[in-house]
Amino acid sequence: MLRTRAAVAVARLARFASRVMGRGGTALPGLVALRIDPSVIETLAASLPEGVIVVTGTNGKTTTSKMIATMLTGSGRTVLANRTGSNLARGVAAALVGAVRGGRVAADIAVFEIDEAAVRQLGPRLHPRVIVVTNLARDQLDRYGELETTARHVAAAVAASGIAVLAADDPIVARLGEGRGEGAVWFGGEPAIRAAMPHDRALYGHVEPRFGGRLDALLREATPQGDGQVVRVDIGSREVAVRLQVPGVYNAYNAAAALLAVAQLGIDPVAAAVHLADMPAAFGRGQIVPYRDRRVRVVLVKNPAGFNQAIALLRAEAEPCPVLVAINDHHADGRDVSWLWDSAVETLADTPHRFGAGGIRAADMALRFKYAGIQAWVEPDERRALDRLVDDAPSGATVYLIPTYTALLSYLEILLPGKRPEEVWS
Amino acid sequence: MTAPFVVAHLYRRRMNIYGDTGNVTALCRRLEWRGVAVRVVSIDEGDRFEFEEADIVVAGGGEDSSQLAIADDLVSRSEAVHRAVRAGVVFLTVCGTYQLFGRRFVTTDGSEIPGIAVFAADTIGGGRRMIGNVVVDSPWGSLVGFENHSGRTRLDPGQASLGRVRRGFGNDDTSGFEGAVVGNCFGTYLHGSVLPKNPGFADELIRRALRRRTGTDPDLAPLDDAVEERAAAVAASRP
Repeated sequence: MLRTRAAVAVARLARFASRVMGRGGTALPGLVALRIDPSVIETLAASLPEGVIVVTGTNGKTTTSKMIATMLTGSGRTVLANRTGSNLARGVAAALVGAVRGGRVAADIAVFEIDEAAVRQLGPRLHPRVIVVTNLARDQLDRYGELETTARHVAAAVAASGIAVLAADDPIVARLGEGRGEGAVWFGGEPAIRAAMPHDRALYGHVEPRFGGRLDALLREATPQGDGQVVRVDIGSREVAVRLQVPGVYNAYNAAAALLAVAQLGIDPVAAAVHLADMPAAFGRGQIVPYRDRRVRVVLVKNPAGFNQAIALLRAEAEPCPVLVAINDHHADGRDVSWLWDSAVETLADTPHRFGAGGIRAADMALRFKYAGIQAWVEPDERRALDRLVDDAPSGATVYLIPTYTALLSYLEILLPGKRPEEVWS
Repeated sequence: MTAPFVVAHLYRRRMNIYGDTGNVTALCRRLEWRGVAVRVVSIDEGDRFEFEEADIVVAGGGEDSSQLAIADDLVSRSEAVHRAVRAGVVFLTVCGTYQLFGRRFVTTDGSEIPGIAVFAADTIGGGRRMIGNVVVDSPWGSLVGFENHSGRTRLDPGQASLGRVRRGFGNDDTSGFEGAVVGNCFGTYLHGSVLPKNPGFADELIRRALRRRTGTDPDLAPLDDAVEERAAAVAASRP
């Protein structure tokens, strides 16, 4: 415990120093704490009276975590979360260390979004009371390796958890529940909703079984309304209806997962859902940012499944909109851009939208558009691309920015100048 | 030309890990832009198909488990593939199928997946994974792609390669060779996808396929490849 106290003290000094020096880095305090006390995560997490909820999976981690944290806060709990987009061990350590007051973590419960590779190590260290697996699809191969490997990482974390909240419609996630019995609860959609969000393996003709048993949370409706949607979910005998500020069937699935997760803590999902209506999108996850008198809707993409979800959003958009797809290839984006060819860009050809290609690999995106029968303008420079995007729309109109991870951070500096990442991530 | 040009996508379901569909897309568009009607045929395990009915056969990469899953099926087609290669059918095999078009793939754990020995080559798995952008000097200009493999492919003396590695790892990180060629059958580690960014290579495959059909050198109308060349140049400049 002395070691943990030392770790906390030095880590907070590091955080203070890095802020004074004007660096937004959130990793340093976590790294310092782990160096001084390698078991700082286990020690501090075990002190949380209501335990830890972990959210992992390929897509939807940030939004689902935010939904859970929002509902828990709304139900009167003090919630600790790694909201700064840092979802590796150092990010979890930084969040825990930063919340220590008077020798204990000043929170009732923690909600941690955790990278699906890092969760293999972090799961057994956090002993989650509840673990949510949103979905598992092909991701950046050069970073994550094969999907089967990722599935094994997540399975190890599920084995170390109390209750697993699992995606019934995802054939890879469905396998994680085998043999867990009461230790697994399932969320899924009605057939019509399922059809709107095919698993990326299904796109290649795989016919794989989904979970065939009774669903604990059934997503019955996801109807677009305004900038968001109306979602109905049945959880046991409770019928939940909520208006979300985020669009897209995939976010309706995220809401079903989040509602089922809070229900595992004995919280009434109908009462908890009220708080979701006020929840704005997490940055880059469908958030609308005002810029030069237009509304920039920002939708982060990282992999074919996520890109296909963004494409589905654009197909549902009836008004002709300018769209900028910005592809970077730094390590955090995945250096390989082959995945662009796995996405159904062709299905955008008959939409009324106009397209541009941005980012370091703007030329690759323009090429992808070309072979999908779409002529796109090309502008790798962020500021010029953003201006070109909004110049193409009348005042007050909505434009779409679809960036990869590091492109998102670059555009963020233009869209919300002077804000530290931690101010906009939450 | 009466019957449509046939692009056969071999193991679309299992050997299609990262963008290899783009090769089919590139061939289709470049034929259609020249007024040639194309039909795409998908061939998965157990599907009956005579490769000589295809003009170009395209196959991609896959996870180790997928390679194991298709290995028996591929061996059962060995005779048919050899016959088609002798008949001049054009094949493009990428990564995992390239490995299995060699004699064998010995995986990291020592188990051996038999190949069909179109290429005089063996692949041994293990060691550092070879990941990154790659540039290859080939008879069809420089080829740009992205490689991601742990298998090291050794060509026998006399087995022609696709080209020499200018940047990246290539077949085995030591020989300087990338890919393999036997007749009209090509093997490569390049994803990217390889054909969209390398239109000269894509057109070479098309030209060979049309030559087999008509017996004469086809007159391929030139296309504006500025977007393709720009994408290739950017890819070649990236770490």
